[in-house]
Formats: sequence, structure tokens, C-alpha cells
Amino acid sequence: MSSIQPTYSQLLSLAIPQMILVGTALLAMSIDLLALRRATLSTRSAATAILGSLGCAAAAAYIAIIHPNGNLLGGVLLGNAFIQLLQIAILALTIAVLLLAAGSTFTRHVGEYVLLILMATVGMLFLVATQDLLVIFVSIELLSLSLYTLAAFNKQSRFSWEAALKYFLFGGMSAAFLLFGFSLLYGLSNSTSLSEIGAHIHGLSPLLAIAIVCVAVGLGFKVAAAPFHFWAPDIYQAAPAPSAAFIASGSKVASFIVFFQLASIGFAGAQGSATWGHFVRGWIPVIALVAALSMVLGNFVAIRQSSVRRLLAYSAVAHAGYMLLALTAHTPQSLAALVYYVVTYSAATIGAFAVLSIVEAQTGSDRIGDLPGLSRREPVLSFCLAIFLLSLAGIPPLAGFFGKFYLFVAALQSSPESMPLLWLVILAIATSAVSLYYYLRVLKASYITTPESSAALTSGRVSGEEIPRVLCVLLAAAVVLLGAWPSLLLRPLLNALPRVF
Amino acid sequence: MTGLQAYLLLSSLLFAIGLAGALTRRNAILVLIGIELMLNAANINFIAFWHYGPATTYITGVMFAIFSISVAAAEAAVGLAIIVAAYRHSHTIDLDSMNSLKG
Repeated sequence: MSSIQPTYSQLLSLAIPQMILVGTALLAMSIDLLALRRATLSTRSAATAILGSLGCAAAAAYIAIIHPNGNLLGGVLLGNAFIQLLQIAILALTIAVLLLAAGSTFTRHVGEYVLLILMATVGMLFLVATQDLLVIFVSIELLSLSLYTLAAFNKQSRFSWEAALKYFLFGGMSAAFLLFGFSLLYGLSNSTSLSEIGAHIHGLSPLLAIAIVCVAVGLGFKVAAAPFHFWAPDIYQAAPAPSAAFIASGSKVASFIVFFQLASIGFAGAQGSATWGHFVRGWIPVIALVAALSMVLGNFVAIRQSSVRRLLAYSAVAHAGYMLLALTAHTPQSLAALVYYVVTYSAATIGAFAVLSIVEAQTGSDRIGDLPGLSRREPVLSFCLAIFLLSLAGIPPLAGFFGKFYLFVAALQSSPESMPLLWLVILAIATSAVSLYYYLRVLKASYITTPESSAALTSGRVSGEEIPRVLCVLLAAAVVLLGAWPSLLLRPLLNALPRVF
Repeated sequence: MTGLQAYLLLSSLLFAIGLAGALTRRNAILVLIGIELMLNAANINFIAFWHYGPATTYITGVMFAIFSISVAAAEAAVGLAIIVAAYRHSHTIDLDSMNSLKG
């Protein structure tokens, strides 16, 4: 605790990136409503999205240059090297999503769309920078409420509304569970600070057990882990591509970090154990069961999907299972592995959605059966799609392989002599072998299957997709680069970690 | 039974009623009402834990309840907007008819 009396200058120095984003959001909306009234829709959406990404870049530059450090009110708002890295990663992913939205024409309200994306980003930036229940709850709600609206943004499509309504109702329930869990944690410790809560918890009381389950339901929903994943396939399929990519990427990063912190700091006194055959009650067996269920259900249900977006959704459930493995290990190394995994996974997912959005603009569908001919019509795009999907499957030398490898090693090394998580790691490796089948099915459709009509071979370029095309190539390059040279991201991560634990 | 226990019993009951309503009702508005009940159950917890807690001079629990009430209001606004828009599209808010997305 640096000081009990916070000063406004301290608050200002820690919150300037968020303030830059809010300012940019208002600026983007007013420019859209005032200066660009007579411009065409694609110009407006490109201009506001680029303005938004410039704002994100400015916030990231501020973090990278100034390095805002500090600890406000015993963990209400934190700044350290690790949080700075996370915030820069979240801002980079937001820039990718904004570029994906640039030039898209599914809505006339482009200014509001950019505003909501930036507001959700503000929520994420606060979420990773706090260790206080109140701030966690408020920022999760800021993030969620923006995401519900973003998911419903395609006014022409009734599917978009339907998916958003389901997402909202499930989300509301999970928020209520989270709040109920938080109220019990407050009752147990009479404090909202995670470290205070951790200091007050000794062993598992019935009240704490309910709190753990409530928090696991609330955050399990946010990270789309089974059995709280029902919203994910609908949202991935029916929401506009940039919204779906955003829900699948940046929001996952922030939610996993806060889940890790809550479990490893807040519940530190009631760990339990998930050793095969020797379960001890605590939070670890809860997370381990959710992880195992997510891996099995996600991978096996994904096999029978015919829509690529739904397939990505179920694979996201499976990936959430792998990432929960890092939670059960809860060591500094596994936190680094989690961050590396979730960031590279997000980059690959945004890339896959970018390719899909271009393909959908051309063919009007995302079904695997409509992919044949893609490799001859759009060789660059289909090569990018291959890189993204193979990275998600975990093929070397792509980033997904190293992420999985490092995550599994971190899980096994959490206690090298007894290896309590060996059964989960074996399950993860076995189910990720299953995942290769459905990823390859998509690639087979785009590369090997011959199309039924020759129309699938002629290029039907749609205007306003130049920026997403460049984005695809950039993200593919990033996935290859991070896979071939993981220390690019891992070294700063590992250097930043000792100051956290 | 102490006062705190009575309040916790009340809040658990409210939470359970809200959850049952949210899970069984087919009308989207009634589901939303169920969710609001669940959120208010948590608010009762916060106030009760604060009142019977060791340090009533720190108003953390009350602050949390005030924040969560305003967040619940925002949530209701967003939710009703989505429900109204869904009604304009399909002229029903019956959740059983929302079944065009499957798989």
C-alpha cells in the first residue's frame, strides 16, 4: 500500500489511457454526426474506425512511454510492468477489431459502433488493472453492456437480435451470480480488496463454497467455458463479424486475467486439490472440472458443425478449457503461459473472422460447403485462413503450438514431484488431437474440394474490404512471427512477472 | 436466529425465486424481472453484512449496493432496448419462438 490518501494526480496518471479512449470515442461520434453527414457510408465507417484506432494507438503509446506505475487505495487501481503489457496487448487487439470494422456497411450508426467498442475497451483496461471487487464488477458490467449492444448492431438481421437477446439474458443471470458471490466474499472478509479477502479465508466454509461456485458461474460465462457456453455459438454465428471477433478476443483476455487474479489471490486460503483420485474440496477441483468439460464438449460438438463461425465458437469453448488449465496451476509461469496463449489465440481468431467477413460479403454464407474455390479465387486470403486455423489447432511453427506447449509445461511444472494435473494435461492433448480433424475439414473444403459451379472461381470483389484484407496479412504475419520467435512476447512477460507475485 | 441469519435467509430465498423465474419463464420481460430479483438479493447481502459487520464506519457495503443498483438500472435499459428491437422484428418476445439459431 503506497498511500492511504490518494491524490488526483496519481489517479490521473493511472487512468489517462482510459481517458484518451473516452475522448476519442466522443470525438469519433461527433465527427461522424457533424462533419461526415454527407459522406458515403463506407467513408464514414472507415474514417471513424481509423480515428478510433489512432486513439487506441495513442493510449498504447502513452503506456509504453510513460510506464504509469502506482497503487491506488490498496489495489483499487494498479499500475505495474505486467499490467502495462496486458493493456498494450488489449489495445492492439482492439485496433485489429476496429480495422476489421473499417469500411463495413452493416449499420448506418458507425459513430456509435466505434464509441461502444472503445467503451468496452475502457472496461477491459480497468479490469486488468484492479484487485478490488467493486471495480471488477463495475468494469465487467461496462464491458458486458457494451458487448450486448455491439452484438445486436445488425438491424437488418433478425438473427443478430435473437443472438443478442439470448446473450443478454444469460449475461444478466451470470452477472447476478457474480454479484451474489461478491456479496458473500465481502461478508466473509468485510473488505472488497482481493488481498484482504485472501487473508481472511482459512479453509473452506459452506458460505465460501457458495461464493466460489457463484464466481465460477459468473466468470465461466464471460470466458465461454462449458456448461455456461450456450450463448457463444449463437453470438459467433449471428453477430456482425467485428462484434463477434471482439467478443472472442479482447473480452476473453480481460476476463481470464481477472479470473486468474480472483482465484489465485482471493481464494488463496481454500485451494483444494484436483489430483486424480484424491480430490480435496476447494476452488481448484471446481475449475478443473469446468476445464475438462469444456475441452471434451467443445471439441466433440465442433466436429458436427457445418457453419465455420459455429465451429469457431465450439473451438473457443475448447480453448477456454485449455486456458483454465493455467488457472488450476496458478503459478507465475502459468500466468505468463496464459497471457501468451490468450493473446495469440485472440490474434488468430480475429484473423479468422476477418477472412470470414470478406468471404461472407462475396458468397453470402459461412458454411463449409460454400468454401470450395476459395484457394483459387483468393489465394492470399485462403493462405491466411490456413495459418489462423493451423495455429488454433496447434501446429508448429505457429503461435498456437508454442502457446499450448508452454501452457502444458507450466501446468506440469506447478508441482513437478507429484504432477497433480497430469490427467488434465493428457485430456487436453488428446482432445486437441481431435480438434485437428475439424480445422482440417475447413481447410480441405477451401483447398482440395472442387467447387460445383465455376462462378465460385471468379473473384467478386466487394468495395470497402481493402483494410480487412491488409489486416488479415498483418495478423497472419504476427501469428507466424510470435510462433517462430516466442521470446518476443514471453521475455517482457517473464521480466514483468516477479513484480506481481 | 440472529438478525444477520434472517437477512441471509431472506436474500437466499429472493435469489432462488429470481433464478427460478429467470429459468422457467418464457417471456423475456419476466426473465428480466427474475434477473433483477437476483441482483437485489445480492444487495440485501451487502447491506446486511455491512450492518452486522465489525466496522460500520466504513460504508463499503452501502457503496457496493448503490453501485450495483445503478448498474442494474443500466442493464435494464440495455435489456429493454434489445427486447423492444426484437419485438419489432418478430412481433413476439416469447423465448420459445427464438429458435432460428441451432446447432
